[in-house]
Amino acid sequence: MRRLHALLSSDRAVGLLFIAPFVVTAIVFMVYPVVEAIRMAFYSYNPLRPDLSAFVGIANFEFLFSDPLFWDSLWQATVWTLLSILFQTILGVGIAMLLHRALFGMAFFRGLLLFPYIVPTVVIALIWRWIFNPEIGVVNYSLLASGIIREPVYWLSTPTMAMASTIMLNVWKYTPFVVICVLARLQTVPLELYDAAKVDGAGFIRRFIDVTLPQLREVLIVVIVFRTIWTFNKFEEIYLLTKGGPGTSTFNLAVYSFEQSMASLRLGVGAATGVVMMIMLLIGSIVYLRITKFGEEVR
Amino acid sequence: MEVRLERINKRFGAVQILKDIDLVFPSRKFVTLLGPSGCGKTTLLRMIAGLEDITAGKIWFGERVVNELAPRDRNIAMVFQSYALYPQMTVRRNLGYGLRVRGTPVSEIDTAVERVARILEIDHLLERKPAQLSGGQRQRVALGRAMVRKPDIFLMDEPLSNLDAKLRVTMRGELRRFHLDLNATTIYVTHDQLEAMTMSDLIAVMHHGVVQQYGTPAEIYSKPANLFVAGFIGSPPMNFLEGEISNRRFLVGDGSLPLPALQVEANAQKAVLGVRPQDLSRAPAAGQDTITGTISLVELLGSEKLVEVQLQNRKRMSIQLRADAFVEMGALFHLRFDPQRLHLFDKESGNIIPASN
Ligand SMILES: Nc1ncnc2c1ncn2[C@@H]1O[C@H](COP(=O)(O)OP(=O)(O)OP(=O)(O)O)[C@@H](O)[C@H]1O
Ligand SMILES: [Mg+2]
Repeated sequence: MRRLHALLSSDRAVGLLFIAPFVVTAIVFMVYPVVEAIRMAFYSYNPLRPDLSAFVGIANFEFLFSDPLFWDSLWQATVWTLLSILFQTILGVGIAMLLHRALFGMAFFRGLLLFPYIVPTVVIALIWRWIFNPEIGVVNYSLLASGIIREPVYWLSTPTMAMASTIMLNVWKYTPFVVICVLARLQTVPLELYDAAKVDGAGFIRRFIDVTLPQLREVLIVVIVFRTIWTFNKFEEIYLLTKGGPGTSTFNLAVYSFEQSMASLRLGVGAATGVVMMIMLLIGSIVYLRITKFGEEVR
Repeated sequence: MEVRLERINKRFGAVQILKDIDLVFPSRKFVTLLGPSGCGKTTLLRMIAGLEDITAGKIWFGERVVNELAPRDRNIAMVFQSYALYPQMTVRRNLGYGLRVRGTPVSEIDTAVERVARILEIDHLLERKPAQLSGGQRQRVALGRAMVRKPDIFLMDEPLSNLDAKLRVTMRGELRRFHLDLNATTIYVTHDQLEAMTMSDLIAVMHHGVVQQYGTPAEIYSKPANLFVAGFIGSPPMNFLEGEISNRRFLVGDGSLPLPALQVEANAQKAVLGVRPQDLSRAPAAGQDTITGTISLVELLGSEKLVEVQLQNRKRMSIQLRADAFVEMGALFHLRFDPQRLHLFDKESGNIIPASN
């Protein structure tokens, strides 16, 4: 009894008490689903016949690795992730540098910037389906009217164009995130560094390479890691825009997992896909952070 | 190379920062821009470097107007207050950067970098990054980066202000030595009058964007042109007494003091009398030419003693005496003024009322 009293009156106990709600929530909503998903990856589980659920060892993974669609999805997920990240990083840095200049009206654009990031993906995907509609979409209309193209482009109904469209959507929606991170960092770059480089004789491009980029290094590493994880796992943008089609040409692993679980009712295979994705991202992130020596730079 | 400023003006929006600056920096001299914080020193230096637009006026380098010339084409070097070293580059690469950008052959860069590193005694630090250096070492690297290119004009913006007091004194001497070695015109910005006095050939005292006085350290110290310069230069600061000129005497409160002959004799003119603590002495007894007060504070400065005397009109004067002088708090003190060591200023304009000699 006395010991309990002592424990409760100590600072440590009070601290534990304060974080307890978060820990409980985290366990219920974060740890439990992950553990459950991992467990499920080793079970055969049909939601219509839960009573038949059984431990199957690595059978789900064997199924996965022998399914050509899994490998296609993995390849497409990689292409979609790499190209999305590449374009939004380049665009993001470029736009951030433009906005960083104290030009008239830039405050307005800075406000506008968040728009794509705020609007729900469902709304955006629906609007984009309209915009890219071959017959009545505004994109084709403009391109035709200005004479850039002669024939309507079938944006979402050929494999290449569908993939390009999903990448465009992702770039459009998440470039603002890159811009905001980069802009925040740009504002802390000491101006005297640019002055020093000017006096040393560096032109605009050299100043970008030798002053701006090194300062952006850390923020870009972080942005790229997070954007890669989020994009690789992304489901709703692809599914809402193309449903993974035409055919399976825009399947990524998230869409594949969804289709296995919901359409084919192979929840175990779906969960196994999730486990594979998790492991790949984990290994990828660690290797990437090692290569870039993140955090090792002495400031 | 001689640098000449001709009616230089600078405005940021509606705010006038620099007004009609006319200055000549003679070739190979060490000239200091001295003034309190915010008076426009950095702005002026940046204009000379080409980093800041010129609102009006001309800047000449020798026979050439450089108003439109980019910084890289001015053959200047600049040391920044924060040093502005490139954090991701080693000291070696920092030093060589200016040469590398200009496409100098690698072997030449190496030779130049190593020569400068030897002079500045930083050759053992060449492979380190700026973050791994102490403040003083960073400062040397910044200096080195400026020296490598053999500039015509060497610009320095408070390069010592981030160093501790002792290192600052050492570096003053070294900067002066580098200046002599470098053979470049040096323009040095500081708000520290001691730095200015000890290092410069010429000092331009600035206040509110206007040059208050331009001259050698000795001139500025012994013949301050106005109240601002008189109060800004010298440590401890000059004492000021308000009063009136009358029959070659200065009437202050209940006393009066003898004045030197003035170039234009003035009578019944309101004036401010300035006298440095070092130029006051102690009279054994009250007399015609003394003022009496009581000792209100004694500070031992080491080799000197700073005594504060409160006059009858509650005005306080400080006097610098030898450390072994006997003074007692609360005792009477008779101040003796040397007429040759007084400075008289017009109360209205603050300008000096020159003595005839
Ligand atoms: N980019 C700018 N826009 C507007 N005002 C400025 C700008 N740069 C400087 N000023 C103003 O100009 C004045 C002079 O600034 P400057 O930096 O030249 O002062 P300084 O003499 O170097 O002072 P310090 O000793 O503190 O460095 C200051 O009042 C400052 O607020
Ligand atoms: Mg300054």
